[in-house]
Amino acid sequence: MNKILEIRNLSKSYGRKGYKTMVLQDISMDIYEGDFIAIMGPSGSGKTTLLNLLSTLDKPDRGEILLEGDNVIKMKNKKLSLIRRDKIGFIFQDYNLLDNMTLQDNIALPLTLNGVSPEKTIQKVQEKAVRFGLEAHLKKYPYQLSGGQKQRAASARALITNPRILFADEPTGALDSRSSRDLLCCLKAANEEGSATILMVTHDVYTASYAKQVYFLRDGQIQCRLNHRGNRKEFYEEIMQMLASMGGEQE
Amino acid sequence: MSLFRLALSNFKRSVREFGMLILSLTVSVCVLFNFQNVIYADSMDVLLEFNKDYIDMIMQAATVVFLVFLFFFIWYATNVFLNQRKKEIGIYIFMGLDNGRIGRMYALESILIGSFSLAAGLFCGIVFSKFFQMLLLKLSEISVDIQFSFSWKPLVVPSVTFAVIYGFMTMKGCYTLKTSSVLNLLSGSRQKEIKPEKKLVTAFRIITGIGILGAGYGFAWHTEGLDALNHALIAVVLVIAGVYLLYSGFIPAILRALTRNKNYLYKRERNLWVNSLAFRIKKNYRTYAMVTVLMICAVTVMAISIAMKQRYEKINYFGQVYSCQVISNESLNGEEIAEGIGQENQVEYWNEVSCLVLSPELLHTPYQEWVYMAAPYSQVKEAAERAGLEFEYKELKDSQVIQLSHEILLSLAGNDWDREVEIGQETYQVIAEDKTPYLGNMQNQATIYIVSDGLYEKLESEAAGGMNYYLYNYRIQDPENLDASKEYLGSLSQTEEEGGKFVGVMYSQSEQKDDSWIRIMYSLCLFMFATLMLACGTIIFMKVSNDVYEDKERYRVLEKLGIPREVLCRSVRKEISFAYYCPFLLMCVTSFFSVHALGNVMQEDLLRVNLWSAAAILGVFTVICLLSVKGAQRRLFMPGK
Ligand SMILES: Nc1ncnc2c1ncn2[C@@H]1O[C@H](COP(=O)(O)OP(=O)(O)OP(=O)(O)O)[C@@H](O)[C@H]1O
Ligand SMILES: [Mg+2]
Repeated sequence: MNKILEIRNLSKSYGRKGYKTMVLQDISMDIYEGDFIAIMGPSGSGKTTLLNLLSTLDKPDRGEILLEGDNVIKMKNKKLSLIRRDKIGFIFQDYNLLDNMTLQDNIALPLTLNGVSPEKTIQKVQEKAVRFGLEAHLKKYPYQLSGGQKQRAASARALITNPRILFADEPTGALDSRSSRDLLCCLKAANEEGSATILMVTHDVYTASYAKQVYFLRDGQIQCRLNHRGNRKEFYEEIMQMLASMGGEQE
Repeated sequence: MSLFRLALSNFKRSVREFGMLILSLTVSVCVLFNFQNVIYADSMDVLLEFNKDYIDMIMQAATVVFLVFLFFFIWYATNVFLNQRKKEIGIYIFMGLDNGRIGRMYALESILIGSFSLAAGLFCGIVFSKFFQMLLLKLSEISVDIQFSFSWKPLVVPSVTFAVIYGFMTMKGCYTLKTSSVLNLLSGSRQKEIKPEKKLVTAFRIITGIGILGAGYGFAWHTEGLDALNHALIAVVLVIAGVYLLYSGFIPAILRALTRNKNYLYKRERNLWVNSLAFRIKKNYRTYAMVTVLMICAVTVMAISIAMKQRYEKINYFGQVYSCQVISNESLNGEEIAEGIGQENQVEYWNEVSCLVLSPELLHTPYQEWVYMAAPYSQVKEAAERAGLEFEYKELKDSQVIQLSHEILLSLAGNDWDREVEIGQETYQVIAEDKTPYLGNMQNQATIYIVSDGLYEKLESEAAGGMNYYLYNYRIQDPENLDASKEYLGSLSQTEEEGGKFVGVMYSQSEQKDDSWIRIMYSLCLFMFATLMLACGTIIFMKVSNDVYEDKERYRVLEKLGIPREVLCRSVRKEISFAYYCPFLLMCVTSFFSVHALGNVMQEDLLRVNLWSAAAILGVFTVICLLSVKGAQRRLFMPGK
């Protein structure tokens, strides 16, 4: 299997000299093509920080991040933005759709700004809309949609460029259980059928149970890792047990 | 925190965020004060000898125009502050303030901003008053010393009007805050921006907008003849209404159509900026309309001033073609007079023409007091040649005449002239009306027909009671030195009893002092043009800054998505350029018609003025637009901001 992301001894701290708080310490992990990883951990454990580092939005103090063999830490901002554009997709907790355009235009945005021809863009948007169940809403503006629909649109936007890896920070954080399930089913399908590589951060066990692997982050380090075997219900229980054994701060 | 402390901290923040807006309010007050100061300041009494009444009148008119502008400006400014408060309303409600108290807080800080602007404006006004007066007189080519003086009278109009308009707007805002429901305030102005309108309303706006604007242009185009003023007035009203409707109907419709045409939209950065424009136009169209109308005003004011100046120069030139004219009822020796003048002055050129006075009855006119004359073609032609004036008419037929008349400052009668004239029993064809001063000031005092030599002889023999006059026209090298020859010329003139010899001398007036009001008017118009132009630029600038402020979040997201900065910068540039150049374009089209109308009324060719003033606005706008783009890019993409 292709290694997409290779993380070596990643450390990150915030604050000035003398008042530094270590948020991440010596984190190492490998992400392969087709992975669907969930990162869990208590609030303040550094999940968002880790995601920001991996998605090149922030820089670590020490360590290396190799995206398909290229070290992204040494890269200039300009190159980084190209990497983000071409290889990385994002889903944010608060959707981050642009409120001044329709859903269709929102989903098409990355393609149009990359110079893809209008015909091809329209066709791809249509495909993604079908996959995420949004055909009926393409002409609507974000404010006319529910949170779940918005998040699915955001996922469609993130996947439309066929990124090498998709990062999602609490994608279901603002959704109810039904909308969460719809979204996760879509992501799962994208992972299984479209072989999209996904890395998401969540503290919701139900959300995590859709992933193939779950990493547990605590005190700035990865404490342990669970692999998805058997059916989702069992995996859910497994995660619950693991959390309980780790100290039970989670629900 | 007490309400006052809260208002004070809001005020401080507003000064930081809307510095430009407050500065503009200050500048408006400053300008208004200076207009008034010209009327009341003691130092301007030096202008008394230059017909100060006229100047005062112009200043009052300028004040009124400026007040209209100030009204819109304050309206806009208070709205910006109000919207700012509306956006933060959630915070205040959590702080436990109810609507009424939020309203009071808004009123307090608004009054703070208003008093601050007013005080600063008056202060600057007083400080700059001497400079302004000097500038005004310098532009008007009037040289007097200006003392710095202070009087409280010019303070009255700016303070009172500003306070009244500002107070009214503040009360309005306060009332809005007090009466609107919390939910409405919380959802803010956002949703209004995209709420689709009923198709019928849109169609109505589009059709009436285009129709009314077209009709306005039509009226402006046909401003000849007696209806000119009526047509011009109707045109003004129609064009203002049309522009307003165009921005609220047609232009948004185009933008929406563009966003729907995906083949257009999904190319380059259009998806970003066209969408953003379409989204915002509903909110911004009033600003665009106002700016467009203001710019049309600016260009028209400029055209008025230039037309007046051209007119004035023509009239002046009219009187300067001949330095003195000798008129007599008996033939004199022109050469001898030339020699007489030549003793003190160098004669540049001279000529002579004989004229025949036609009694008004002969012409069947009701104007019994007016003088009508005929002059023979060949003599006028020769006179024109000697004076170096162009005279391009072919030998007249006996049935043809040319009418000579003079320039007037402003004529509403249009430039129609009677194509036929009846002299005695015969009807003659008037082939042209000419305003070249072939016969100098004589043309100011009589209507003169150039007739063929044959007809002249016929009229001479026929016309009973027709009197012959002989006109001798001299132009000296140095008109300033005309006085030296006055003694000699005075000795020529004689009036004798009925039927006897009569000789009169007319002197051209040197530059008239009582005309300097025209020059002051001219410089004032220039000043107004500059002010209005800058005001338009500033308004758009502020609008754009305001929008950019809202856009920050959007561009942050786009950057996260990895859209390269150049692409975003390009999109920002295009969006901002639209805000400047769309009103500019509409102004160009409209001002073409309005200036044409003005040209008709003033009988001047004003196309060049139109082009120049449009070019000036284009230049200023381009500079401000660049500043806007740079500012926006700095604001959006600077790290840490
Ligand atoms: N920009 C920053 N400056 C200083 N400290 C920061 C910054 N961002 C995060 N932190 C600190 O780093 C730690 C980890 O933050 P992070 O946002 O990664 O947590 P998280 O795991 O995402 O929590 P949650 O589940 O609540 O989102 C927190 O203690 C936080 O206070
Ligand atoms: Mg987080």
